[in-house]
Amino acid sequence: MAPKPVTATIFAYQVGFGDCFLLRFDYDDDSARHILIDFGTMGLPKDDPTVTMKRVAEDIAEKCNGELDIVVATHRHADHISGFETKDGEGSGDIIRKLKPKRVIQPWTEAPDAPEKWEGPEGTDPAKAFAARRQSLEGMNAVAEAVVARLDRDGGFDSKWPLAPRLRFIGEDNIKNKSAVKNLMTMAGETDADKANYLYVFHGCDLDLEAILPGVKIHVLGPPTLRQTQTIKKQTPKSAEEFWLRAEAMLALDADGGPATARNSMLFPGIGPDDSFRKSRLPAEMRWVAERVDEAEAEQMLGIVTQLDKAMNNTSVILLFEAGGKKLLFPGDAQLENWMYALQSQMAKLLDDVDLYKVGHHGSLNATPKSMWNRFAKRGEPDKGDRLTSLMSTMAGKHGGKHGSPTEVPRRPLVDELKAESNLVNTQDLAKGVPFQKLVFNLR
Amino acid sequence: MTILPPVRKLTVVAKDPGLRIGGGGPMVFAQVDVPAEILAPGPTGYRIKVVDYNATERRAYADRKRYQDQSELLDPFAPAAGEALDDPAYQARVLADPNFHSQNCYAIAMRTLGLFERALGRRVSWSSGGHQLHIAPHAFALANAFYSEADRALMFGYFFDSDDKPIFTALSHDIVAHETTHAVLDGLRSRYTEPSGPDQSAFHEGLADIVAILSIFSLREVVAAGLGKSPRLPGPGEPMMLIAEDEVTADAIRDSILLGIGAEIGLADGAGRGALRQSVQIKPDREILDRPDMAEPHNRGEVIVAATMHAFVELWSGRIAQLGTFEGGTYNLASVVDEGVKAASQLLQMAIRAIDYCPPTDVDFGQFLAAMLTADRELVPDDSRFAYRATVKASFDAFGIVPPAGQCDSEGCWPRFDRTDQLTYSRSNAEVLTRDVDECFRFLWENREALRISERGYSEVVSVDPSLRVDPDGIPFRETICQYIQMAHFFGAELKGLLNIDPLPEGFTTRTSADLFGGGVVIFDQYGRVKYHIANCLDDGPRQRRRLEYLRDTGQLRGRRNDARSRFANLHLARMED
Repeated sequence: MAPKPVTATIFAYQVGFGDCFLLRFDYDDDSARHILIDFGTMGLPKDDPTVTMKRVAEDIAEKCNGELDIVVATHRHADHISGFETKDGEGSGDIIRKLKPKRVIQPWTEAPDAPEKWEGPEGTDPAKAFAARRQSLEGMNAVAEAVVARLDRDGGFDSKWPLAPRLRFIGEDNIKNKSAVKNLMTMAGETDADKANYLYVFHGCDLDLEAILPGVKIHVLGPPTLRQTQTIKKQTPKSAEEFWLRAEAMLALDADGGPATARNSMLFPGIGPDDSFRKSRLPAEMRWVAERVDEAEAEQMLGIVTQLDKAMNNTSVILLFEAGGKKLLFPGDAQLENWMYALQSQMAKLLDDVDLYKVGHHGSLNATPKSMWNRFAKRGEPDKGDRLTSLMSTMAGKHGGKHGSPTEVPRRPLVDELKAESNLVNTQDLAKGVPFQKLVFNLR
Repeated sequence: MTILPPVRKLTVVAKDPGLRIGGGGPMVFAQVDVPAEILAPGPTGYRIKVVDYNATERRAYADRKRYQDQSELLDPFAPAAGEALDDPAYQARVLADPNFHSQNCYAIAMRTLGLFERALGRRVSWSSGGHQLHIAPHAFALANAFYSEADRALMFGYFFDSDDKPIFTALSHDIVAHETTHAVLDGLRSRYTEPSGPDQSAFHEGLADIVAILSIFSLREVVAAGLGKSPRLPGPGEPMMLIAEDEVTADAIRDSILLGIGAEIGLADGAGRGALRQSVQIKPDREILDRPDMAEPHNRGEVIVAATMHAFVELWSGRIAQLGTFEGGTYNLASVVDEGVKAASQLLQMAIRAIDYCPPTDVDFGQFLAAMLTADRELVPDDSRFAYRATVKASFDAFGIVPPAGQCDSEGCWPRFDRTDQLTYSRSNAEVLTRDVDECFRFLWENREALRISERGYSEVVSVDPSLRVDPDGIPFRETICQYIQMAHFFGAELKGLLNIDPLPEGFTTRTSADLFGGGVVIFDQYGRVKYHIANCLDDGPRQRRRLEYLRDTGQLRGRRNDARSRFANLHLARMED
């Protein structure tokens, strides 16, 4: 007879601004299974030099006894996958790799080819639609790279521009971490037979992991496939896809840096050296408006990376673990657009009795949709039995707007509501030197 | 001293770089009339200052052209001896020069401003208060172009097509005219950029497209090229050119590049579709404005463009049908073009003059229609000859846009002010009233009860403008258009108590606060008597409720203010990102 899970334990690691959760199921035969959900950071706590990704990886290795059952990478952002980075066998990702995970779960957007049963938009060739979508994600990474390269260059952007740090943060978070991505695609074996170990999931897809994780059902609520997305939007936002496909061409012009190509050479090769003025030598009558044009360009850049950041968040895998009558919800950084399909689907009712909610997107306002939050029946006053637990991994002041602005992360009104209606566990509250928050759920 | 002629010619790309002679031939260039003036480098004139700074390259291109010499005004890009406007080599040379792009923007912006000034019969100011609007023709390597009030500027981006060929938004007449219209409209109605119902920002977009499309029709050679013919129309005494009947059917006109916006960009942005927008292809549907995708301002704005263009196609094809055909079913091309020029000019004039008859805050499409009809009736009381008003009204009706119910007369026009006996004129000086904002405000304040001007808000006369007209005897006379706005910051309790919004909209408490707008246009006749009062009153509870509910549903209730730059910029980027 298959063993039964008796407790679920979550180790929520201190990784500063990022996510890293080790989920352990203990069984009645004294065995245990381990699932690592995300492992990334965009900024470790500055006041504690002992926190390193390598130490976290070593602690994970120790906790799971050198053997990981499942790795989940919810989406491609650095603050969720940077820990999987390899470095000549010495990186934190190398340590995880040695734990030989049996399965790696990622969103369908990361698959090399369209997964089985995945559906493209009505009336399109699914392979083509899939390839286009994949390419547009690559386009987003490329745009992020171009933006950061520009920030790195002397005089690339006006240094006085106050939003430059925000542009850099989002840009860097969206740069493709090649070694981490590759590690995630190979850590569960590289033979043909191992291909089945990589699960690229979408809303409603069937995940049969009974052999690896007996007695635990994993529901996949998101991300929706292109077909599913289409049903919630009256008109497919074709233009969005097209924009990212072509975005690189629209942004990559870079007059001073890099090798000369048709794009990055001067726009008007025919004009002589004396027929243009460098920024530092502009005639008086041009300076006022030139400053403004610079600002306008930078602002648009920020608008573009903010959009692509959101698009990438919306590729997040939303997993709901169900075992022994308990439900643990891990939605990555899914925002409303990703949630929308799940919330109007048959699976929405699964949310009604969620016991643990991993707070989306480090507590930003847009990743905890009201229509989802309102479903949680276990919300309530502190004396409520069986009260909902919410788990947040964040670090204030790293990302988003100023305190009090609608873009601050974590967003104060949301934190207040989480505190009022659930037991909020926050990695930010960990004392110096304490590596994780530990939560135990009894499944008996 | 040089004596300037009233106008000068400057060379521009007509319509859009996507308009090609005979389909795939050279672009269509034209020499257009702009006001004569001695230009400074830029070019910089009395209303436009071109600053060719490129933020992506972080450099500016110098303007080295001469726009005048001692004895005459010059068009530095006019074809040289032995060259013609449709010479491919000439075009390539000119297009490779950033100064030509600057001239293109300058000329089209001046021309667009001129259209407004001519239709309204007065100078039109920029909303920023300055006299010279900046234009950056190569602002950045981004597929975007916008008007920014905060920067007192139009910024035009560029991007690269799949062959790495740069696509310049500054070369598209459609786009330059569209963005200039945003700036002009913002000068005429500065509160149309405030958060309002769904129609107001859509109106900005729609009017900008209407002006961009119809304004090209004053260039006869471009109309000919748009119909697929040679732009070289015959001059006096030259043999007539013909066009087949089936080339000028209503369908053919609807498909024509002439009624689209941004043909080259539409082709180059990878979508392989036609123009960026071809609103005339939108099928009439009375429920169209209720569709969820019509909440986005460009989409929604396309509905008034579609309604106007359907009317235009009907008017033009109707006028063509009245022309005689020659053997083999052909028309005289020049006559066909001339009929299009007349219909477009009349409609454009209606649309522009309508602005004077639109309330200065929270405008909606029905009010714009009533304003268009009123403006036209003031100018041409008899509609029986070409039925412009009847056609426009029917066309808007087919898209579910009707004059505001219960507020208009049987023709759909605003009614004359009928409570004249309740107004006090004795304390106003009629002559000063026609030019002085304080005198005008005194009149409004003294008559606030009859005019339903609330005492509770901040009130301001924003403009007092003359409007010149010619009476049926051919004698010109002058009316005065006074525009006032009202603003108030009300709490829920005040919405309830003062505006009778009871119960409060869902989500509002007595302590929820909101900014409200109101205001109107008072048109004084030549005797200084109120002829029209067209207003959205501040204390109109049902109207304010609709607006607040809309803002609540679209998350704009606590919209950030002072976000002037991104207002239009985001609209344009959103088209690519949504």
